[in-house]
Amino acid sequence: MKKFKITIQGMHCASCAGNVERSLKKVQGVKNVSVSLMTNKSIVEVEDNVSEEALKQAVSRTGYKAVEIQTG
Amino acid sequence: MEHKHINKKHYEESFEEQEMRLWKRRLWGAWVFAAPIAILMILERFFEIMPFGELTSLVILMIGFPVIFFFGWGTIKSGIRGFISFYFSMDSLIALGTIIAYATGILAFFIDVQDYSGVSAMIMAIFIAGKYIETKARGKASQEIKKLLELGAKKARVLRGKEEVEIPINEVKIDDIIVIRPGEKIPTDGIITKGQSAVDESMITGESMPVEKKIKDTVIGATINQDGILYVKATKIGSDTFLAHIITLVEEAQGTKVPIQKVADKVTNIFVPAILVLTILTFIGWAVFSGDWSKALGASISVLVIACPCALGLAVPIALTVGSGMGAKRGILIRKGEAIQTMKEVKTVAFDKTGTITKGKPEVTNFISKVKEDYFWEVAGSLEHLSEHPIAKAIVAKAPLKNYKKFTSFSVVRGRGLEGKLGNKKIVIGNRTLMNEKNISFRTIEQQIKSWEEEGKTTMIVAENSKVIGAVAVADAVKDDSIKAIGALKRRGYKTVMITGDNETTAKAIAKQVGIDEVIANVLPEEKAKKVEELQNRGMVAFVGDGINDAPALKQSNVSIAMGSGSDIAIEVGDIVLVKGSLIGVVQAINLSKATFKKIKQNLFWAFGYNIIAIPLAVAGVLNPIVAELAMALSSISVVTNANLLRRKKI
Repeated sequence: MKKFKITIQGMHCASCAGNVERSLKKVQGVKNVSVSLMTNKSIVEVEDNVSEEALKQAVSRTGYKAVEIQTG
Repeated sequence: MEHKHINKKHYEESFEEQEMRLWKRRLWGAWVFAAPIAILMILERFFEIMPFGELTSLVILMIGFPVIFFFGWGTIKSGIRGFISFYFSMDSLIALGTIIAYATGILAFFIDVQDYSGVSAMIMAIFIAGKYIETKARGKASQEIKKLLELGAKKARVLRGKEEVEIPINEVKIDDIIVIRPGEKIPTDGIITKGQSAVDESMITGESMPVEKKIKDTVIGATINQDGILYVKATKIGSDTFLAHIITLVEEAQGTKVPIQKVADKVTNIFVPAILVLTILTFIGWAVFSGDWSKALGASISVLVIACPCALGLAVPIALTVGSGMGAKRGILIRKGEAIQTMKEVKTVAFDKTGTITKGKPEVTNFISKVKEDYFWEVAGSLEHLSEHPIAKAIVAKAPLKNYKKFTSFSVVRGRGLEGKLGNKKIVIGNRTLMNEKNISFRTIEQQIKSWEEEGKTTMIVAENSKVIGAVAVADAVKDDSIKAIGALKRRGYKTVMITGDNETTAKAIAKQVGIDEVIANVLPEEKAKKVEELQNRGMVAFVGDGINDAPALKQSNVSIAMGSGSDIAIEVGDIVLVKGSLIGVVQAINLSKATFKKIKQNLFWAFGYNIIAIPLAVAGVLNPIVAELAMALSSISVVTNANLLRRKKI
């Protein structure tokens, strides 16, 4: 299990956060997602084989931008 | 922790600020054009004046264009993208609403339909204004967390050989010696190797009184050194520091859900598609039953722009953010949003004793001296100074001496006390048993000793040449605020229970002193969780413990409150973590939880209420689309503002 903290730019309404959450959940190997509109951050728990790139794509698929990804 | 900057420049500038600037520019731009449209519309509607005569609609179409397709372009683009990717957002509704409305302005040249193009520009302008105000208020809601993020020092002055060199904070290594002058920020967590000072830790613990620090004491990064030069050896750096932990914790907590939020989230997730369907139905309904296309369009646009998923989606998180921020400022870290909701069901507050109600280390609480007080402490302190026993340390701490008297002989009588020779005087310090064994009579102070023992204190009798010269009572003293805090809890109707491994006498004495209702004594550490379970038969239980020995009991309880002291806090356990080791924090945490939950309920009530009333009105076609948009903007602003009002609450 790995944990990523993604900073997301462009979310400005509650549906946005819901969209990002839905999109991230669809990524294979993603266990747990929480997206906070308040902090503009998402905390994602994933299996070890999930790449940062896949998560980044999931975010941009919904029309927002992953500005920073931290592991921790 | 590995950092990977995908877009470093943006991040350093804080994209939130950038976004604010963007919205501000859009706001001004949109209104420069929208204001004349508003004037034209008012003139036409109420005064039947059309300055441009027949050309008015064309003028409005032209002025309106930049409002929607330039200043509103971000919204339009993201809205259209929603239709392509099927990730609908608020923008999809606004984009559709404004584009349809604008299109009527063009259509009106060819067919007989009401011209909504002015309305379209007004909708976009109001939407932008609403977003601007909302974004600003959202920024305010997380101001405490932002302050935490900015709290860390940027630079540190470290010793390199004999020289002091100023280096950026991320170049500081563990074991570096950092020099901190009075008034400076302590750059990172460490241990004092030289110097002493008062340190202001209020930004971390919420404790307003400065804390005295000396050699071997630990200091926390981001606190302020007040009056002496400190030499500190760095023990933790970067993401391992106390401040970094607090920030992570607060940020993670804001992503957690409050159970009451579930319904709102479900509604939010299907909200936009549902509104789109409803819009189509509204249009068809009006078109079929009234045959009035203009009316059908007006009602449909109203439905599109009145629906407000933001108020719903923000209701809970924004209140949680404000609440947890207020907590963080006071040293109360809410780790799980759930605790806020559970807290209101709690009936019993159970406490661990040692380290929670009491300070966790013995100290001298009383003494009597039959000789001069200075001399008494000189003798007692000098002998106890030779021992490492906690009780000895307590006695030494009571009267620290510059120069300790030299004892020529010294021995420990296990479990009983100490004896030693000071010049030609034979000094014995110990309990009753030791005095009896040495045939030293302490009848003169028997009464006093007995009363101390009844209070659960340990008594050490001091004798010089077989004559009693005084006695000292040592106990694990109650923390300064414990009595006040437990009193406050009882006044709020909570049953207070103490669970401890201590014997009945000591436990009861402490309980009596602080006013605890019920005592469960002689509990082995591994049994504490079971005792909590038993208490749960009477209702929900909040357990307050130090988080190190009490982890199972904390886990068993409905709301777990872990106490920290200084930089050692067990951050992994506890729904709520108190940075400062004061029980007043428990009262504050309860107050804060209740106040926050109340706000959450208010917000949800308002957000649901708004949509339930407003949407049918829009469907019924009784609302002008501009009024609809105005109502929408106000509803999300009101939710955000209401959450910010939580700050006024005294915790």
